[in-house]
Amino acid sequence: MAAERPQLKPDALGLGLRVPHYGPVLEHWPDVGYFEIISENFLGDAAPARRHLDLVRERYPIVLHGVGLNLLGHEPLSSAYLDQLCWLAEYVDAPFVSDHLCWTGAQGLSHHDLLPVPYVDDLIGVAAERAAFVQRQLGRPFGLENLSTYVEFENSTMPEWQFYSAVVEQAGCWFMLDVNNIYVSSQNHAFSAHSYLDAVDFNRVLQVHIAGHSRETDGTIIDTHDRAVADDVWRLYAEAWQKKGPFPTLLEWDERIPPLPEVLAELQKAALVRA
Amino acid sequence: MNQAFPAWLEQFQERFGRVIRTPLERANGSLRAADETYDQTLTQLALASERLGPNARLAIYNRQYWFRLFTLFHGAFPLTTRLLSHFTFNGYVSRFLVARPPRHWDSESMLVGFDEFLQQALPAGTTPVEGQSAPVDTLAVLEAARIDSAFHRVFRAPALDAFQPTAEHAARLLTSRLIASPASAVLEEHWPLCELRPQIVMEVGEAARALPPRFDAARHWLLLRRENRLALLPLEAREARLLGLLSGLSLEGALAQLEHECPAEERPSLPAVTQRWLARSVALGMWVGLEAL
Repeated sequence: MAAERPQLKPDALGLGLRVPHYGPVLEHWPDVGYFEIISENFLGDAAPARRHLDLVRERYPIVLHGVGLNLLGHEPLSSAYLDQLCWLAEYVDAPFVSDHLCWTGAQGLSHHDLLPVPYVDDLIGVAAERAAFVQRQLGRPFGLENLSTYVEFENSTMPEWQFYSAVVEQAGCWFMLDVNNIYVSSQNHAFSAHSYLDAVDFNRVLQVHIAGHSRETDGTIIDTHDRAVADDVWRLYAEAWQKKGPFPTLLEWDERIPPLPEVLAELQKAALVRA
Repeated sequence: MNQAFPAWLEQFQERFGRVIRTPLERANGSLRAADETYDQTLTQLALASERLGPNARLAIYNRQYWFRLFTLFHGAFPLTTRLLSHFTFNGYVSRFLVARPPRHWDSESMLVGFDEFLQQALPAGTTPVEGQSAPVDTLAVLEAARIDSAFHRVFRAPALDAFQPTAEHAARLLTSRLIASPASAVLEEHWPLCELRPQIVMEVGEAARALPPRFDAARHWLLLRRENRLALLPLEAREARLLGLLSGLSLEGALAQLEHECPAEERPSLPAVTQRWLARSVALGMWVGLEAL
């Protein structure tokens, strides 16, 4: 049973809250529909992070986006991690929580990266069971994000979107759909980004991510989040909006982060693209 | 939960993990993914793209792993990084992480112990720096690492209520140990590293930064977090010594040791200045409690 759809404006524009913008946000209180925080940055007891969070949550809805759940790691989910995540979600009263359909560690090690798996039937059931468990523990909607990937495996038996949709459907959880990641992977693996969009049930999309990427000299596209959103990604976003909107939209900018006004201007492009 | 992942996933993830943790090859001031050394079972499973072979595609993850971790260490150890240059510093980070790969989702945990590792890993005397004809004084690098580590630790410390002595405390104050706030540290420097650090944090560059001249005598600071900012307050040498002694001894033990170390001509004035230093440390919120010994 899917949890109830969260309470953000259906066309809300949100921003990933990053350290260089703490000061300007607290000084100017920009007109942003909501902020998304990286869960792991606020799970510890570091006082500055908590103070900033307390100030921001008084004025804006905050959603959580994690990078450490390790949903597809062969080891059991960390109950300690999950307990802290549940506490944080409750603390900020997050409309929803998301993480990635990936693995981040194995054999007791943490690789601090979002890593792919072959897309095969026998991973779907366990992944869905875990995602459903996480959503139950959180007591609020839980979304899974699609990755940018740079390698595919010969034992995959289905395209990524089929695997992704099957996990979300069986789990009764949600899509946290990253349009930039669809574009990046479609270019790296020569598949149709439009087919990907067509396969996603937008009634179950919590939010759409947009971000910038970079192109290597060999043509590979890397999901760098270090620049403005590419025109091709805006076109894909517009297609998604026209066919399947509205949905909350969030801009991620994680490296070479420009001043807040520039990031806000980039976010506002989403409204123009939709028109 | 009832279901378990198939056994092959564990083997796949073990192989993939080994590939991405493969140390990057260091040659001519650059780093290269040694993708010819990757596990063949995994490379045979990976598909080539139009532009890249399987090994080259896996190398993206290999490079991404290392540069993400290097960047974390650069952020936490900015002084140390720039005294050694990014390239030389990255070499030590690689050795540290090969010996102690990250085990926790909290990336902060992988930084713990790096300054102690450098004490073992850096050569005695001077340390060669990539692209520099002159090596850097190893003691300065170790001092930079201690200062970087303290700044990082103090800034991220939890918020704890400051210790406010009461009449009840007075009776056992002398025989107890004061517990220092994790949001404070006493620093000693022989080079102007605390002054250099904020400049370096704002700079863009990867080359080694020249080490400023050494002081004639050490300087001491109290590093404190106030609200969300760090403050450095100058300390007299003996004041720093007292604060250091208090971290391990009872108050009376620390005072006795300080008096023992004090030249005879300064002893008459010691009780008054000691009282002033202690009062100041309490007023600054340097302590969070009292522990019976």
